[in-house]
Amino acid sequence: MIIVREIAKSFGKVRAVRGVSLELAAGQIAGLLGPNGAGKTTTIRIITGYLPADRGDVSIAGYDTRREAMRARRLVGYLPESAPLYPEMTARAYLDHRGKLFSLERRRRTRAVEEVLERCRVGELASRRIGALSKGYRQRVGLAAALLHDPPVLILDEPTNGLDPNQIREARTLIRELAAERTMLLCSHILPEIERTCDRVIIMAGGRICADGTPESLTGAGGAPRRYAMEVRSNPSAGAGYTIGRLSGIAGVARIEATGEQPSDAAGGWTRLRVEGEPGAGDLREALAGAAADAGLFVRELRPERETLEEVFVRVVESGGGGNA
Amino acid sequence: MRGAWAIATREMGSLLRLPVGWVVIALFAFLSAVLFVNGTLTPGQPATMRYFFASASWLMLGVAPAVSMRLLSEELRSGTIEPLRTAPISDAAVVWGKYLGGVLFLGLMLVPTLVLPIVLWGVSDPKPDPGPVIAGYLSLMLVGMLYLAVGLLASALTSSQTLAFLGALMFLVLMMVLTGTVSQAEATPQWMARALAALSVQARARDMAKGVIDTGAVAFFLAGSAWFVLLATAALQSRRWR
Repeated sequence: MIIVREIAKSFGKVRAVRGVSLELAAGQIAGLLGPNGAGKTTTIRIITGYLPADRGDVSIAGYDTRREAMRARRLVGYLPESAPLYPEMTARAYLDHRGKLFSLERRRRTRAVEEVLERCRVGELASRRIGALSKGYRQRVGLAAALLHDPPVLILDEPTNGLDPNQIREARTLIRELAAERTMLLCSHILPEIERTCDRVIIMAGGRICADGTPESLTGAGGAPRRYAMEVRSNPSAGAGYTIGRLSGIAGVARIEATGEQPSDAAGGWTRLRVEGEPGAGDLREALAGAAADAGLFVRELRPERETLEEVFVRVVESGGGGNA
Repeated sequence: MRGAWAIATREMGSLLRLPVGWVVIALFAFLSAVLFVNGTLTPGQPATMRYFFASASWLMLGVAPAVSMRLLSEELRSGTIEPLRTAPISDAAVVWGKYLGGVLFLGLMLVPTLVLPIVLWGVSDPKPDPGPVIAGYLSLMLVGMLYLAVGLLASALTSSQTLAFLGALMFLVLMMVLTGTVSQAEATPQWMARALAALSVQARARDMAKGVIDTGAVAFFLAGSAWFVLLATAALQSRRWR
């Protein structure tokens, strides 16, 4: 549905986007993550046709956003960051105006306006000036405007920006509902939001895509674990260093360390450890349990730990983005 | 075209929802009434509105940039330009729609002044000739349209309404000085004086205020307006590449 090929964009000497490529299939909901200045908003602006790319192409449902701009734009519903609206207009009048810009015929426009007002739960405040609405309601009006012409593609830039926790939950539910029938690209700083909402995560840094996959594949939930939490007991006088020394040297283990927080019965010889496996080492639980038994250590807990999306994000961003992962 | 019309009606509606719109209408109506009472409604004077139209075209110098200053600057400042330019509508339609909205507002602004020729009709004997009055209103509208187009260009160049207003005002005053004072100065070479005089807005407005509708003058105002609207479109398009 959305095909982006090798797009690049510079502002003066700043290279905001450097050769980004991605494809979103129909019905897919993808989250675009990245630190400030990663190039997310520029990428989104190029996809929506607001900015032209210096090089590369974007097509929406087969329509090139440069050569067939008007056709491509009709297929996209776009909520820009901070939902810019006309404060002097009422929500209903604004949506009606947007309907005119999308050439919706009067009867269809009136019906569409009422439908999106209802769907985005703005109905009761539809006759109030947008400038008098709370940020949360303004965000909803922006979302309603993006949905008005029933586009098959939705692009939302920070849709929960400035919302309170209740509103965020409502917005997330609405986005999930909308995603059932649309292709969606969602840009956000809020990682749990992306993790809960999207079935694909794209991480950008330095104008490039650094990681691209399902939340499970990125956090390692689908394959062999990379990290383990372990609680073992040794001689109380020996200490954590002794325990770590006895477990070191297992094939596939990259690092073992005592965690910052130790169990309440640490005085009895119990140590809480974090074990990190080498990439591709497979499941190390059996090896760890075996090595502990051989060393005379008693194990009361050994479980794999899933990397959070936040940790993946930090790791990927810090590693600096060396092209599409 | 439908998109441009939608933008024009929204713009006109917004100007009427904002205090600035009503302030401009009220100020123009008040100053017009002052000019009318002082210059036209004088016992013993012929029943003509020539003085009023000539002076009111000077008022347009400040009023038109005040109307145009927010047309694009406000969209650029508030970010509403983004949803506008990602809608299926061309940049040219956006700019023409904005311009048309401003022109509609100018037309509306002139409506309260229609009471002035009615008053003149009521109090004068012999009655005033309607031809020069119609020509005068046409000249006011054409002058306003040209100044509005200049203001629209200024508005496309900056996201600050104040800068857009001052930029347009300074350009119009500079043009007035060049085409008026400088073109008449003895030190100005003949060819330059002729070229500058040919660009004079005030001279054409004065002629039309006398009741002379010269198609050349009408073409001058319309072509000049279109030229500045096209420049505003180019200025808006160039923002995509910055």
